[in-house]
Amino acid sequence: MLPLLAILLITQQGAFFTQNVGGNRTVDHVKVSAWLVMSAVILLALVTGGGWIYPKRVRDLANDEATQVNRLKALRTGFIAAMLACLALYFLTFVEQVQVREAIHIVTTAGLTAALLSFAYMERRAARDG
Amino acid sequence: MAERLANRIKEKRAELGLTQAELAERVGVTRKTVNTVENGVFVPSALLALKLAEALSVPVEELFRIER
Repeated sequence: MLPLLAILLITQQGAFFTQNVGGNRTVDHVKVSAWLVMSAVILLALVTGGGWIYPKRVRDLANDEATQVNRLKALRTGFIAAMLACLALYFLTFVEQVQVREAIHIVTTAGLTAALLSFAYMERRAARDG
Repeated sequence: MAERLANRIKEKRAELGLTQAELAERVGVTRKTVNTVENGVFVPSALLALKLAEALSVPVEELFRIER
């Protein structure tokens, strides 16, 4: 589920930055709402382990010790990426005006994408035959 | 000097004729976790180490050792 969400997030953010940023039409509000919901779902999945449609026994098995460690490492990577995005944006404001909405999108996208990709990489490596 | 936790899971598992998936089922984790512990990618908690030793019917100190 998480790799699919990562692809959706990157695609959606790509579309956001290539089209009208910070528009005030109804369609823009719908887009932003969809992005907010998806970001919240991704964050919740990363924090809790996701798989909410499955029984608790299955969730506990899928979210075993190694997976929990991978999730924590991925969240740390996401946090570092978000902080680096903040620092980069701070310096960017010296040369270009950055809207608050744009900045929020960039920081959130950097954090979530880094966390998702890091988690996907570690899980794939773990599943590889030894 | 770097220290790492070496293990003999693969060897003990082979002696019992168990696959990673079968061992994982005995312990109550995924095959992925057994694989990462076996390959030294993931250092298990004391609880998981004891469960693995119990599932393979060996003392935990026989299954894991510190490699310097």
